[in-house]
Amino acid sequence: MGALDALKGFKVTFKQIFEPRVTSSYPDEKRPKPPRFHGRHVLNRYEDGMEKCIGCELCAGVCPADCIYVRGADNPPDHPVSPGERYGFVYEINYLRCIHCDLCVEACPTQAITESKLFEFSFTDRNDAIYTKAELVVRDDGKPQQLPWEDWREGDDLLTSGWMRATSPAGVADQEGRRHWSGELGYGSRAPERGQSGLDPAEASPSLELRKEEAAKIPVRFGGRAR
Amino acid sequence: MTTPSPSPSPSGAAEVGGGAAQAGASGAAAGDSGAAPQEVTITLDGREVAARPGELLIAAAERAGVYIPRFCYHPRMRQVGMCRMCLVEVKGPRGFSLQPACFQPVANGMEVRTESPAVKKAQDGVLEFLLVNHPLDCPVCDKGGECPLQDQTLTFGPGETRFVEEKRHWSKPIPVSSLVELDRERCIQCDRCTRFAKEVAGDPFITFQGRGDHTEVNTFPDRPFASYFSGNTVQICPVGALTASAYRFKARPWDLEQVESTCTTCALGCRMVVQSSSGEVVRHLGVDDEAVNHSWLCDKGRFAFEASTAPSRRTHPLLRSDARLRPVSWQVALSEVAGRLRAVLATDGPGAVGVLGGARLTNEDAYAWAKLAKAVIGTDSVDAQLDDGLPAELVAGLPPATIADACAAKVLLFLGPDPREELPVLFLRLRGAVRDHGLDLVELSPVDTSLTDLARASLRYRPGQLVDLVRQLLGSLPPANPAVAAARDRLVAGGGEGVVVALGRSSIAESEEQTVAAAGLLRRMLPGATFLPLLRRGNVRGALDAGLAPGLLPGRQRLADGGAFATAWGGLPGAPGRGARALLEAAATGQVRALFLLGADPLSDFPDRSLARRALEAVELVVSVEAHPNASSEHVDVVLPAAAPSERAGTTTNCEGRLSPVGQKVVAPGLAWPDWAIAVELAAALGADLGFASPADIVAERARLAPLFAGVTSAVLAGTVGRMGALLPLRGRGPDGELGEWPAGATGGLERLDPMAVPGIASVESQGAPSEAGVVRAAGPVVAAPVGGRMAAGDDGPAALLSWEPPEALPATPPVDAYSLRLVAARRCYDGGTAVQASPSLAALAASPALRAHPSELERLGVASGTKVAVRAAPGRLELVLEADAGVPKGVAVLGAVPPAADAPGASALVRAGDPVTEIRLETLEAG
Amino acid sequence: MARFSPENLAHARLLLSLYPEPRSALLPLCHLAQAQDGWLTPEAMEQVAELVGVTPAEVLGTASFYDMLHTSPVGTYLIGVCTNLACLLAGGEELLRHAERSLGVAPGATTEDGMFTLEEVECVAACDRAPCAAVNWRYFGPLGPDAFDELVGQLRAGALAAEVPAHGVLSRVRRRRGLATTTEEVAAERRAADEERAARASAKAAEAQGSGDGGSRS
Repeated sequence: MGALDALKGFKVTFKQIFEPRVTSSYPDEKRPKPPRFHGRHVLNRYEDGMEKCIGCELCAGVCPADCIYVRGADNPPDHPVSPGERYGFVYEINYLRCIHCDLCVEACPTQAITESKLFEFSFTDRNDAIYTKAELVVRDDGKPQQLPWEDWREGDDLLTSGWMRATSPAGVADQEGRRHWSGELGYGSRAPERGQSGLDPAEASPSLELRKEEAAKIPVRFGGRAR
Repeated sequence: MTTPSPSPSPSGAAEVGGGAAQAGASGAAAGDSGAAPQEVTITLDGREVAARPGELLIAAAERAGVYIPRFCYHPRMRQVGMCRMCLVEVKGPRGFSLQPACFQPVANGMEVRTESPAVKKAQDGVLEFLLVNHPLDCPVCDKGGECPLQDQTLTFGPGETRFVEEKRHWSKPIPVSSLVELDRERCIQCDRCTRFAKEVAGDPFITFQGRGDHTEVNTFPDRPFASYFSGNTVQICPVGALTASAYRFKARPWDLEQVESTCTTCALGCRMVVQSSSGEVVRHLGVDDEAVNHSWLCDKGRFAFEASTAPSRRTHPLLRSDARLRPVSWQVALSEVAGRLRAVLATDGPGAVGVLGGARLTNEDAYAWAKLAKAVIGTDSVDAQLDDGLPAELVAGLPPATIADACAAKVLLFLGPDPREELPVLFLRLRGAVRDHGLDLVELSPVDTSLTDLARASLRYRPGQLVDLVRQLLGSLPPANPAVAAARDRLVAGGGEGVVVALGRSSIAESEEQTVAAAGLLRRMLPGATFLPLLRRGNVRGALDAGLAPGLLPGRQRLADGGAFATAWGGLPGAPGRGARALLEAAATGQVRALFLLGADPLSDFPDRSLARRALEAVELVVSVEAHPNASSEHVDVVLPAAAPSERAGTTTNCEGRLSPVGQKVVAPGLAWPDWAIAVELAAALGADLGFASPADIVAERARLAPLFAGVTSAVLAGTVGRMGALLPLRGRGPDGELGEWPAGATGGLERLDPMAVPGIASVESQGAPSEAGVVRAAGPVVAAPVGGRMAAGDDGPAALLSWEPPEALPATPPVDAYSLRLVAARRCYDGGTAVQASPSLAALAASPALRAHPSELERLGVASGTKVAVRAAPGRLELVLEADAGVPKGVAVLGAVPPAADAPGASALVRAGDPVTEIRLETLEAG
Repeated sequence: MARFSPENLAHARLLLSLYPEPRSALLPLCHLAQAQDGWLTPEAMEQVAELVGVTPAEVLGTASFYDMLHTSPVGTYLIGVCTNLACLLAGGEELLRHAERSLGVAPGATTEDGMFTLEEVECVAACDRAPCAAVNWRYFGPLGPDAFDELVGQLRAGALAAEVPAHGVLSRVRRRRGLATTTEEVAAERRAADEERAARASAKAAEAQGSGDGGSRS
């Protein structure tokens, strides 16, 4: 055991000192979220204000975490809540159980449930973690309600995961290349994602080169490359 | 053995019935089944398969493990070949051609292909056509998830449609009755519901209308599908066209949990599954049981589960203070009852305590209450019937017949209430027997009933003259008319061998003496005849078998004989107690000071309302163990809330003596307890220990002490016998050496008669893929022929059970009063009964109480049908609406026994208990 | 109105007596009811159900299967314009369009005065007279627009009342006896009917000669 052995042990440490730093100062700084990010759900409405949810319970049936509770009921004939015979009378999601797998979104036959990119919400009471229709249904402008205990950031409420249904009507999500989509939730363009075959680096979604991009933003004085 | 080698059935089916088949068939002749015990061999997809001669290809293939898709085929109905889904290739002289498997009986050497390209193409085509107008609104459809159309489309369908045109549109859904909703867009015209309505129920109020692509199922305008059996169409609908309004949007199939059970709405004991979602019972579905219900349920049994969640439900013990029932704790309620009971016992002895009712209880509950009453309190004044049934000794002591015996009888002498009103599914069984093999039905009834059109002879008697008619039938009096003479000749031939008597009380406005005397005559003169008792209310047979009757101990033992009970129970009542009528009479005169009501409602159900009222008013302590408030509640001092059906597990015994399980699916609301637990706690409050910590303890003690229940252990109940139901006493040995009743001719094994008839969570497995998985049916042993195994007391039975000695003396025939009408009072299916009134779907169906009489009586009175008249009888005067009914003979009037509204006049207001007949006089009301 | 008149009720009972199963008389009774009211009213169907011992739903189920039985109100004259092949080639479509314009109703609808119901029908087996129309199952053709208007005018004026009875009446010859009839009586009745038919045919021939109009027969 010589003195050099001690230094050898620090080899990785010293090497990392001179690498660009990737730690960002969350929550002051936020990384952009990937397009497939699964956050808090929203229950969508049609343009005329009718709810899209028909209370079919397919989301609850497919949910691997058993976090969704839905009960259907007859639409009141005078003031229908949704088009058709049936509407979601009770809709509850328990966010202590939800694993944000998005299977509910895929199961939904009417695109009633989609996910926003919001993930920063916390509760002081277990009961508060159960979102009901009062919290989940979107506002009149079609955007998610922003509740006081939720930390919404720019873009979190845009293009909630409806693109997924629009680009893969058959429910197959692994379509490759750049995909343009339009649907009831808007339109857009989805860049190819890392891992796809024949990916052109120029085409790659920025989010997938996140580490490099983020590193490039770090100023020199903090060990980064940005000037 | 009439079956070919058991199909390569999966573990589930084999475990339940496979072994039983061999045990049952060994030595047992196939009975008098029509088919010769031979088999044919067919080639099914290149495999040699055995089949029964005459069997339909679709059934033979299914038993061989090849599921042929189908929509219209139902094994309990005639095949129609409507849907064309079951097309298979059958080899004929010109090679293979497509044939509907549901219309093709098997023949020896038949070659069948079920998976060839031609069959596949036909299936694709049929499904594509069926879906042309189907709205595909599966997400909002109640059937979605358990839908044969969905499942079979996924398994056999083309996956795509070439149809791009606009689909057919109807308004949806439309109510065809207050219980059933119809969505014509979803209908695939399989003819199942319409066939059921016409062929099985005999209520063809829904039919196909229109033609071609405009064909729809519908009712006549403003004539709803008013059948007692409409709910069955919902169960057998292979799409979501017919849905039950009680289940509408309540749950999805994948939410449902289920348990096998037995309906206790009436004494027939139909097998069913109880399905719940989120801890609430949401529907009942019929299970196919060859012995009892052939998969059908009546609407009352199907929808009365709503009562258990009714707002009026008893959830807390209540104690009357300041003239009001107030919630108290169990501790307070029980100590109050025990304290006041001790005071009564101290001063007047156990004879001053009575127990009424018990038909709502399970067998185990009834046993616990019998022990509490007879061993702890020491009273024998216990009666599960309210003077509206038959003497317990008669029920237990007559040579028994099963329902299947009745359907296969040489002559069925039906002497009882209208089965469609009181035992609805028995009506379906009898109707089926008349339709399928021309059952010789002879009906004795004071008025026209649902059987009148089916019977070969329907003989009328005036109330009070039943014995005279029976004597004519037996040849001891000259026949009044040729119909009686003809029936007599068929009846008495061969000493009554093969004759089954369905025996019940057709009217509670008559005392039981005529019925008992008629039974005695028939027993003596037709020694070969067997008897099927037609009792009122759910588990009344089980309550009687558990000793809830005066002079009896559990297991059809006489109190006087005591048996093992005398020592094991540590003392028995010294003298036989009072029956319901004597008990209430004694109560009215102050001899009985404490009365327990086990779900009994004397004010509604006892034939004499005024006696019941006087009794309840006179008794110091009335304790009601009940799940729902009823008319008698205003006289009750303490209410002990009890668990309702589906809230406790146990067994029940139907009117033929068949033991079958009742399952627990949900927990009782609030503080309601199972009845056995109430008995145990009450005994503890009285300082006694019944020795039961669970129903299993009751089962064990009962098997040890009561000869009828010998061998009915917890293990047996958990096994095949308990799940399939078995006649008591158990006879023979099952596959595991357990005692069991294995009927002659049993082919054994569970057969999925109609995989689509038991939808629910098993649907996905039971349909589509040729799989035997997911059999939820736990029916009795499937028999090729009607059950021949008639029970003879002592025949390999563990012990001789009591027999009934018919009385020698005949009752006097009451003289006819030319100015009076004789009242006939019987229950209707939908009436003021607690279960109906507490179920929102059914309550509105209860008919208003109207007095019905022959049109000539109205003419004589000079009033039109629908007029209110005064009705005078011994106990008092009533004002009732009088309606003309040609089905009521002259000199007779009919009134419902339990009116739908508590304060409305019912027949019991006109009846004086013990009178042989009830004479009423009609008077017009003064104008103005 | 809607239930059978006493006379028709008597005839209904006679029809019932002709069959061993009362049910077999269902269709004849439906025709009888339609002859009385022009269409099968719900009350009539209920009465037919009572008479043959089935439920009203079964009567409706049977009646709605047949095109010639109408379970909703129909005009006095049901005009069925054929647009099947032979008529189509000869101008059936044009005739139908003209009929729509002329009567002011779409196929399937009834004119406001309750006189005419227009229908588009498949081949009525009168191809030799294409394009043809059937008025209460009596054939007219070939019909051009003018001939059609003339036909409608005559019907409206009642000029064809003898030829075309109101909708529902299939035959003016009515069976008067039940099965108890002797063969001689049947033969006599048949002779009388033949004579009646021959007399009408000769009268018709005489009229046709007189008018000389190929389109309509007045």
